[in-house]
Amino acid sequence: MSFKDELGKKILFFDGAMGTMLQERGLQSGELPEIWNVTKEEIICDIHRQYLDAGCDIVKANTFGVNPFKMKGTGYTCEELTEKGIALVKRAIAKSGRKAYAALDIGSLGKLLEPLGDLSFEEAYEAFKPMCIAGEQAGADFCLIETMNDTYEIKAAVLAAKENTSLPIVVTMVFDEDGKLLTGADMEAAVAMLEGLRVDALGLNCGFGPDVMQGFLPRLRQVTSLPIVLNPNAGLPVVVDGKTSFHVGPEEFAAIMKEIALEGVSVMGGCCGTTPAHIRALVEACRDIRAMELTDKQRSVVSSYTHAVVFDERPKIIGERINPTGKSRFKQALRENDLEYIYKEALAQQDRGAHILDVNVGLPEIDEVRMMRAVVSGLQGITDLPLQIDTSDAVAMETAMRLYNGKPLINSVNGKQESMDAVFPLVAKYGGMVVCLTLDEGGIPGTAAGRIEIAKKIIAEAAKYGIDKNDLLIDTLTMTISTGQDNAGITLDALYHVRHVLGVHTTLGVSNISFGLPQRERVNTAFFTIALSKGLSAGIINPNSEAMMAAYHSYCALNGSDSQCADYIAHYSSQEEQTKAAVDKSGEISLFDAVVRGLSESAYQAAKRELESKKPLEVIDGALIPALDKVGQGFEKKTVFLPQLLMSADAAKAGFDAIKEHLQAEGGASASKGTVVIATVKGDIHDIGKNIVKVLLENYGFSVIDLGKDVPPELVVETAKEHDVKLVGLSALMTTTVANMEITIKMLKKELPGCKVMVGGAVLTQTYADMIGADFYSKDAMGSVRYANELFR
Amino acid sequence: MRADRKETLRYLGYHGQEIEEKTAQMIEEVQAELERASTPKYIYQEYACEVTQDKVKLAELTIESKNLAVNLKGCERAVLLAATIGRAADFMIKKYSISNMAKAAIVQAAGAACIESYVDEVEQVIRGDANQRGLYLRPRFSPGYGDFSLECQRDIFQMLECHKRIGVALTSGNLMMPSKSVTAIIGLTTKERESCQMVKCSLCAKTDCEFRILSPAEGGE
Repeated sequence: MSFKDELGKKILFFDGAMGTMLQERGLQSGELPEIWNVTKEEIICDIHRQYLDAGCDIVKANTFGVNPFKMKGTGYTCEELTEKGIALVKRAIAKSGRKAYAALDIGSLGKLLEPLGDLSFEEAYEAFKPMCIAGEQAGADFCLIETMNDTYEIKAAVLAAKENTSLPIVVTMVFDEDGKLLTGADMEAAVAMLEGLRVDALGLNCGFGPDVMQGFLPRLRQVTSLPIVLNPNAGLPVVVDGKTSFHVGPEEFAAIMKEIALEGVSVMGGCCGTTPAHIRALVEACRDIRAMELTDKQRSVVSSYTHAVVFDERPKIIGERINPTGKSRFKQALRENDLEYIYKEALAQQDRGAHILDVNVGLPEIDEVRMMRAVVSGLQGITDLPLQIDTSDAVAMETAMRLYNGKPLINSVNGKQESMDAVFPLVAKYGGMVVCLTLDEGGIPGTAAGRIEIAKKIIAEAAKYGIDKNDLLIDTLTMTISTGQDNAGITLDALYHVRHVLGVHTTLGVSNISFGLPQRERVNTAFFTIALSKGLSAGIINPNSEAMMAAYHSYCALNGSDSQCADYIAHYSSQEEQTKAAVDKSGEISLFDAVVRGLSESAYQAAKRELESKKPLEVIDGALIPALDKVGQGFEKKTVFLPQLLMSADAAKAGFDAIKEHLQAEGGASASKGTVVIATVKGDIHDIGKNIVKVLLENYGFSVIDLGKDVPPELVVETAKEHDVKLVGLSALMTTTVANMEITIKMLKKELPGCKVMVGGAVLTQTYADMIGADFYSKDAMGSVRYANELFR
Repeated sequence: MRADRKETLRYLGYHGQEIEEKTAQMIEEVQAELERASTPKYIYQEYACEVTQDKVKLAELTIESKNLAVNLKGCERAVLLAATIGRAADFMIKKYSISNMAKAAIVQAAGAACIESYVDEVEQVIRGDANQRGLYLRPRFSPGYGDFSLECQRDIFQMLECHKRIGVALTSGNLMMPSKSVTAIIGLTTKERESCQMVKCSLCAKTDCEFRILSPAEGGE
């Protein structure tokens, strides 16, 4: 029998701690335990042997800390320490004469991944890869990815194991007292992602003793269909003089573990502080208890890096706005690589109550794969909503699914064999729910029965890949009633059947229904409400439409999924006030005043009004710039407070947006005073000051190329050369990174002698700036605007 | 954990300007949002320490820093501390940098105020425990202050297992992520009267800093 055969059939027992045992044998704090695989192999082998004698079925190799970052400079390679680690387990098992499994133990890399940290997803993947390959070659029975606290890092490790070995994969994580990972992910989100990735078992280790973990288990059992693994510490760590100890003894440990085993678990053992005595007591107490019965929890779920969204009786809103179809401003943003515009669309939809965001960035003239990669990474840094990856390009789809931190929704597959052949293997590999369009080689059937047949065909084909119908979201296709009065009925009949007879969740792109009709929102809301009542699980709609959201909230209050109408009341009890306030605001405030007072919406409206009678340049020079000057001067004289300056800047930006739209509509290009490259220098990650400078420079009509933070000098120089800019702005917050600022300035001066450099940041002073060869030291954001204005005059 | 409102204003560069009600309300809302979303965590360990003129030795770790040695002079024990308010501040700054720059600046300031007051809270825990043993706390001293090199962060992170225990990691340039995090060494002294010195700002070379808190010697409070 292999590990996979036995897993879940009977309770399997892990061994206990390695680190604790090694410290007793003289391992110093700071010393890498894995090196003992080579230097003190007898000790390692002996510890394994003690655990085997205590009765464990699985021995973890001493490879937890092996990774390229920790091994750097030690003189050992990851491969040799991994191979040796597995070999020692196998030797111990052979000596013991017992049957047991060798687990390749993989721990965290100890670095934070993007977007917060400086390690990219692919770098993390590459770091895990050599251990996986070496572990399998050395004869490991499965791969244990443990003590993990970041789903993104877990995904990198799981993919490294999946793509480079055929080993079963077990993942255990550390949750905090609130039941969350350190990244904020809750248990449901982590489970959704891991089940999507088709791991073999999952569970908890480290962090707490068995008593606390016991409390987490009911929730875990409710949401996972997989075998559950539990490796708690021997209580909480107590540190005295840098020496860590654990105080839950073997009997107490085993007693709680027995209760847990009776409540249901598949694999159990110990983490920090547990010893062979703990494992012996555990095995004795739990040996005769049956393993938890595995049941399919029948969940339809997608997840983001923080939370899961479950398709159930309460319908969900999928925001459709990130899509260039029929939107010239969005197309322009894609062509100009204006990702901020796209991110704003995302945040607006989130504020409006979307549960999932559709992401479509395909345009014939752009590189969709590159754009998809950039947008998915970017969105994961600013919104915690699950994403719906919307593309017909299989490469873009796979790129996004790979990079996605969670279990995505995929849009879409259809009944064509070619489509299913392309999409289902990706879903089976990366996990995800998938929108299934009921059309095939024969086109879109004109009857409900025809669409239902295609739905059945898709369900059957998905099953071949091990994709359960719970992971499908069937779209019975909305066709406009302006070309056929039966269209709504066909769509809705098919929808009803799919939801209530086939028992599969449904979705529709709702607004197609009114294509070609006037006042489309009226038809859309009516159709949306009917579709919801027929069993629509998720509507792909524009959440910025007040009427559509009102239909949604009203429906939830009516169908009983909004308990005590709480959500409805929360949304609409203050509505009256809001309407009044809106009227007050629209009381024709001038553009100048709107900017000075920092009112974005009013500034946008006022700019639109002014553009009816004035030229764009008059609006800019007559109102926007004078208003900004007034606020900017106030800021410099310290009569205006920073947040007020920034609100005015945002309001001015809204005014400029109106001008941009106006120019776009007239087919003209926006005029720029000049281009400035700005960057936070290499090694520095604090960039809010630089971002403020960016907003203000843009306000004053400059085109800003923002290279972000932690920017290598070469990139700054390359970009400055490419765009032949006259001015580069650099920021640094730390004394240590001012050195990189100096290097950047030197390179710039050498390669582009005519280019001026302005610098700013917390540690800088005029003296410092002079010392490192900067042309201008800006003590605050307004200073940089003044300098740029002088330079480009 | 709660941001000290005055500190938030100070980090925002407040100089007694009139604050419009809308702005005041926004500051209050953003602070509350940050406090709700933050997940503060800390870890500390106490070690025996040896202090010479320009070196401090804590367990296996030797730190070369005159400023730290002065700060810990006479201490036989010291606490190594790491604390963070979690990732929420960094995510909020990213988000608001796109949708509302004023809010981004407020999160930045409130986040700084939050981590300061959180470390003060943690210090209270340490103080309570130390006082029971007749020990008193020196002011906390962090890598990056004076000549206490940021390089030491590597060792501190390893000793405290910061990544595993509180989710803070170092970038390749030894900066902490999440950014609203603090590491520090706190000396424990048996002499109560030596337990208070103003060190933080008075050691910093940037004397024209807008946020500088003046020590008594510099004519401050």
